[in-house]
Amino acid sequence: MKTIRLILALVILALSPVDQIAAAESNCLTCHRDFEEDTGPSHKITRDVHFQKGLDCVSCHGGDPTLEDMDDVRESKGYRGVPDHREVPQFCASCHSDAAYMRGHNPALPTDQLQKYKTSVHGELLFGKNDSKVANCISCHTVHEIGSAKMPHSSTHPLNIPFTCGKCHSDADYMAAYDISTSQLDDYRASVHGMALLERQDLGAPACNDCHGNHGAAPPGTSSLSAVCGNCHALEAELYNLSPHKNAFEENDFPMCETCHSNHRIIKPYDAMVGSDDTALCSECHSHVDGTKGLETAEGISMAIAELVAAHDQAREVLEDAIEKGMMTTDEEFRLKEVDQLLIQTRTLVHSYSLDSVLPKAEAGIQKADSVKTNSASLIDEYYFRRKGLGIATLFITLLALALWLKIRRL
Amino acid sequence: MPKNKQSRRGFLELLLASSGLATIGAVIYPATKYIIPPKTAEANLSQLKLSFSRKEIEDDPKKAKYFKYGRDLGIIFVSDSGELKALSATCTHLDCTVQHRPDLGIIWCSCHNGRYDTDGKNISGPPPKPLAIYTVKEDGDAILVSKEDA
Repeated sequence: MKTIRLILALVILALSPVDQIAAAESNCLTCHRDFEEDTGPSHKITRDVHFQKGLDCVSCHGGDPTLEDMDDVRESKGYRGVPDHREVPQFCASCHSDAAYMRGHNPALPTDQLQKYKTSVHGELLFGKNDSKVANCISCHTVHEIGSAKMPHSSTHPLNIPFTCGKCHSDADYMAAYDISTSQLDDYRASVHGMALLERQDLGAPACNDCHGNHGAAPPGTSSLSAVCGNCHALEAELYNLSPHKNAFEENDFPMCETCHSNHRIIKPYDAMVGSDDTALCSECHSHVDGTKGLETAEGISMAIAELVAAHDQAREVLEDAIEKGMMTTDEEFRLKEVDQLLIQTRTLVHSYSLDSVLPKAEAGIQKADSVKTNSASLIDEYYFRRKGLGIATLFITLLALALWLKIRRL
Repeated sequence: MPKNKQSRRGFLELLLASSGLATIGAVIYPATKYIIPPKTAEANLSQLKLSFSRKEIEDDPKKAKYFKYGRDLGIIFVSDSGELKALSATCTHLDCTVQHRPDLGIIWCSCHNGRYDTDGKNISGPPPKPLAIYTVKEDGDAILVSKEDA
């Protein structure tokens, strides 16, 4: 039997691509594939980036791969077997923190993962409190089918990250020992970011690690939110930092973006968030007698946006009518796009909390929308004029035909 | 000839003349309207002569101007090297209008901090692909732009 296995191994070696040769040289896969199911390590390993780069079982587990008996392998020199949960970070770091070694395999890959991991909540619990449940390298990267973040099957591919983190963080039983909510994954999936990433597959949308970090994962503190959200929402952060809210929020220890937009369940902002009525977010802090002009400003901003939205919607409605009637509307469609941009800019300027900033932009938008509406209405008038003209011309032609017929009959 | 018959003949002549004239009018009017050019000229999609000069672009605080190219919006700007460059002004992420940031030497989308280099290549942030490039030619004071693949 052992001889047959050896022959089989040699045949596999001869037929294998170059990147699989290293692993095929050992007896590990030959034996393990015999008794492991299709989902077992020896089968999954072909999808593993380490295996594809030429590393084999021995590279991590040690031992002598030329031995044919498993007990002999366990007894052989350098055999490490399966490392303990707490040992995994150092185990992986023995290569990944070795810059000289990594240069020979993947020079672009950073070598500070362990250093960062030690600063993370996970690392602090593992190293500080000897916590054996907290996430280590393989909790996120899996084991035996580790892929780079660019590989679609990888647990660290952006589309898979929420579920990789959610595997522990949405498991109430698993997280019971930690004083932390387990609704993050559900909240994220309902958020504007979650829907962009998971439904529209917009890889530009942030996953968990874009706000919390990768190896140094931790909740962003109040003071870091400007950098975290401002990384993408740069203009909003810039406007906020110049606004009266900045000092007021800092004095009251309110987190800058989170106070109005929440954290994981960040829904698409809607215009009624700003205003002076009870349903608007502004009224949660401001009142008409609080000595500030907060609600007056909010009301002014709310009205300006509402007027611009109404003007935009009316213009679009009339333009769509003109399009439906087959008129040449290229110019007006183009101008309506400009109104779209002015609407986006006006909504962004809300973060300045200043009527002086919002009003000119809103007025420019309203003016342009009105002109689109007027021009589109003229196109619709032109359509009816042409239709009437066609009716009258048809009548004239019919009369001419009738007159000719009568004339011919008289001849 | 009976008077009744004469008036019927006159009516017929009148009907023939007036309906003939009206038919000619119904043909000539739309034909004339078709010949007269519209208020705004449609862009020549193979090449577009811009309505502003290099100096006007240089004098702009952002050293850039926008232009309409068919249904698209383009941005033309003066790069750090003094070269005139033109790109599509619509961000490839979510269709916001990009702007030239001469202070950073990039094309910037303020919606989600998307960044492109001055050749339109997406270099950071969410934009998934580069901006389309327009070819720019200067002929005396005139600036002519055309789509690179045209």
